[in-house]
Amino acid sequence: MRRRRPAVVAVLAAAALTLAGCGLGSAEDPGSGATPTVDADAQVTGEVSFQTWALKPKFTTYVEGVIKAFEAKYPGTKVTWLDQPGDGYDKKVLSQASAGQLPDVTNLPPDFALSLAKQNMLLDVGAADPKINEEYVEGGVQAYQYQGMTGTFGYPWYLNTDVDYWNAEKFAAAGLDVKNPPKTFDELLAAAKVMHDKTGGREYLMSRLPGIGDFTNAGVKILSDDGTKFVFNTPEAAALLDKYRDAYKAGYLPRDILTQEYLGNSKLFTQSKVAWTTGGGNAIQDFVKDNPSLKGKIVPSPALDTPPLYVQGLSVSAKTKNQAAAIALARFVTNAENQAAFAKIVNIFPSTKASAGDPYFSKSDGTPESDAKVLAFESLSKAKVLQPPVISGATNDFIGQQISLAISGKISSQQALDAAVAKANQLLTQ
Amino acid sequence: MSVVTDPARPAVVEAPGTPPARRRGSFGFNTVSTREKVVRYVLLMFVLLITIGPFLWQLSTSLKGSGEDIYTRIPRLLPAQPTFEHYGAVADTIPVWDYAKNSLVVAVLVVGGNVIGASLAGFALSRLQFRGRRLVLGLFLATLVLPGEVTIISQYVTVREFGLANTLFGVALPGMIGALNVLLMYNAFRSLPVEVDHAAIVDGANAWQRFVYIGLPSVRGTISVVAIFAFIGAWDDFLWPLIVLTDPDKYTLTVGLQYLSGTFSNNPRLIAAGTMIAFIPIVIVFATLQRFFFKGVEEGAVKG
Amino acid sequence: MRYQRWFTPWVLVIPALTWLLVFNLWPSVNTVILSFTNAKPLGGGTFVGLRNFETLLQDEQLRWALLNSVIYMVVCLPFLTVLPLLLAVLVEKKLPGITFFRTAFYTPVVASAVVVALIWQWILDDRGLVNGLAEKLGVISGPLPFLSDQWLLLFSAISLTIWKGLGYYMIIYLAALGNVGRDLHEAAAVDGAGPLRRFVHITVPGVRGTMILISILISVSALRVFSELFILTGGKGGPGGRDNSVVMLIQQYSQGFEGNLGYASALSIVLFFVTVVPMLILARLNRRGAEA
Repeated sequence: MRRRRPAVVAVLAAAALTLAGCGLGSAEDPGSGATPTVDADAQVTGEVSFQTWALKPKFTTYVEGVIKAFEAKYPGTKVTWLDQPGDGYDKKVLSQASAGQLPDVTNLPPDFALSLAKQNMLLDVGAADPKINEEYVEGGVQAYQYQGMTGTFGYPWYLNTDVDYWNAEKFAAAGLDVKNPPKTFDELLAAAKVMHDKTGGREYLMSRLPGIGDFTNAGVKILSDDGTKFVFNTPEAAALLDKYRDAYKAGYLPRDILTQEYLGNSKLFTQSKVAWTTGGGNAIQDFVKDNPSLKGKIVPSPALDTPPLYVQGLSVSAKTKNQAAAIALARFVTNAENQAAFAKIVNIFPSTKASAGDPYFSKSDGTPESDAKVLAFESLSKAKVLQPPVISGATNDFIGQQISLAISGKISSQQALDAAVAKANQLLTQ
Repeated sequence: MSVVTDPARPAVVEAPGTPPARRRGSFGFNTVSTREKVVRYVLLMFVLLITIGPFLWQLSTSLKGSGEDIYTRIPRLLPAQPTFEHYGAVADTIPVWDYAKNSLVVAVLVVGGNVIGASLAGFALSRLQFRGRRLVLGLFLATLVLPGEVTIISQYVTVREFGLANTLFGVALPGMIGALNVLLMYNAFRSLPVEVDHAAIVDGANAWQRFVYIGLPSVRGTISVVAIFAFIGAWDDFLWPLIVLTDPDKYTLTVGLQYLSGTFSNNPRLIAAGTMIAFIPIVIVFATLQRFFFKGVEEGAVKG
Repeated sequence: MRYQRWFTPWVLVIPALTWLLVFNLWPSVNTVILSFTNAKPLGGGTFVGLRNFETLLQDEQLRWALLNSVIYMVVCLPFLTVLPLLLAVLVEKKLPGITFFRTAFYTPVVASAVVVALIWQWILDDRGLVNGLAEKLGVISGPLPFLSDQWLLLFSAISLTIWKGLGYYMIIYLAALGNVGRDLHEAAAVDGAGPLRRFVHITVPGVRGTMILISILISVSALRVFSELFILTGGKGGPGGRDNSVVMLIQQYSQGFEGNLGYASALSIVLFFVTVVPMLILARLNRRGAEA
């Protein structure tokens, strides 16, 4: 057996090479397909498929309306709309991509789009449509431009950011002023201590582990400039983790958060177990719906430090048979008028510059829901993408594991960060 | 190669010495003293308490009114404002019946495939002699430990190459004969005494007749277990139908129910109502089939 | 001795074998191939020799995962072999309402993961049911960290596995019990054997084959545990990933667009060898029983 090993390896190697060509859904030939062959003014007609993510059935009327308007504007076009359920969307898109069956226009968040763009599966819409930089806000367009690649791989569709939500009842119980909530991380820590001490440890303010976004906010550089290496194992990041570790040890955070998932803190907030969470401009409605006893007790305020920017966009498949119609559709769905109409039925924000002046977003009617929306809209101008799109999947998990290990006190913060950076780099270069 | 024997058989046949001749009618043994009854019910209630919690929680959540807090620190089991509105809302939101029908098609295919395929293979492996039997059996056993965790995309590619992407048949296909079910059937057929086969062979029965008239009737219990496992596996699966199906009209219930939790909305009461709807068919299938667990040996031709 | 034409068994086995080859064996061979590459879900797939396996040797998380898996198996095996059998004996007798109990005992198997997660977090939370009760009774002074301590978390997951497995293995046992002749019980009862004796001398030997099959299933599924740990650690494997199982690691590495399928495949192969060991032992036991 042993003697035959090299032969076996050789066979496997050969098989692996063949496999790379077929079994897994191979990449396009580099250089072809990614650049558009028609410009945006070409004749728009024919069939085009459009995939959205979890918009049915709540926004069926809206989407169908947009599609109808598109078909009316460009006679001879026919849009096939596919809406995919919220869960498992990444796997769905992956299987479509590996089968070479990506819909012509697909809703992709920036990190999905990055992976597809790397395989030349997406069209550089910036090349087909130079006006993209003029008409859409900078942060939105930049989310679809990637380090080391030229081109813009999606039209920004809608934006969101986080604001802070505070539980007024719990603030009052701890003798804190909810009208004047913490504005920085250090103030938050101080308030957490007060809440813990005044209530005998029964109430919690914080319930969230720090992540890459918090490092960015603390001024830590995550990636090297050329985007090839992770560099966030700095003393500043370690200091931030130390603060969390000490707060955790002192009992300012619920112990179970070490194993909770990311959404843990908004869930705990909904359950009235903690007094603070972050969430989008529409989160307040969900809190109250799931737990009506919270009604009137939630006070929003701007996010601590730099607010995060979340972007969704529409990308065009490089393999589309109808580039002109696909580009026109992506552009049409994301135009100022359609986005504004969408933003009025759900709390998201348009990515078009023309929408900035719309008083709907900038004037509150005085309700906490409306306040939250206006706060979020104002935060958008300062908001930044805090977590680079290259961090996803295993990298994210591994960083999270090291962070919670550091906070549990089992290893030092610097050790945890070093381990996280080493592993993340290994995964980046694999 | 030795004749396969039932591992249980020697012990059973040689057990406390008495030949199984004194039959007082199957009812006799079923009479239970009052004291035993009490003990049994106490134990039953105890286990019930442990097992049924989540089910009741879900049921209760689905019945709670929209104005009701579902995250109270001390969970309330009885809804304060009971209502069926969420069930209506589920039916309004998604075409529940169509999705249920799709799920049923997949489940029936999978149940049928497993009952037939696993019985045939299980019978051959346990009661027929042939070269390579051990190897085949080993292969089935090996599948239990084969690394299947990263294969979902390559399975999709296979199904697509058969031209079955975006069909309900494509959803059912990979699960239509499960290795575990083959092993369960193998094990069930094995507990039949070999003498029965010999007797049948003397009577001139061929393999097929032995399968239909002797084998099958005596393993009805295990067949219903296989059917239940297959049904539940097919009915509950989410990721695989999601990947295979593209056209929302073809979605199965689990995938379709996902529409209840959209990007911007999440009403746990509605989701609970949805899961209850998906749960009821399983209860029905289970309650129907469990009767067969006990109709094994005593009804079959084995005694003859 | 053969009593059928040579091809008859093959005709019966071929359908199942075909499925096995197409949907189990071929993808597994594929996994072996992938483990020597740096494949990603999209593209990649260059041969990298033994690099993935070299990485395995230095993977601290894998060592924790293997340790956890072995603990998991050692604890689950006795509980899940015996408790479901007792349960099956309990519900075997046709008492009034027994259908209800049988169905109810099976519900944990089909309860959705989301609900199970909610319930168990509520039970095991610092302020949850167990801690609340224990504190009221004065058994403990402070809450036990079921969901944040590395070892308590593992044992919480094990109890969740046992809870979920009760009904599942119960019905396999139930079907097997149907095959144990009632006559034997009757006879033994007439001879004055008590319930315990009858259990040990008739029930247990009667379901011995099933018991071994179930032990195999339990060991394999304990070594491949996924959903319980996923639920209780929110999918992250606990602090430092020390509450991972091998399958959790495989999932973490293979997820997403940039999933490292090569490494995940190498992990799958490790898992394969780990699960083969107890299976061979139990299969050997089985054969010895059969040939005795």
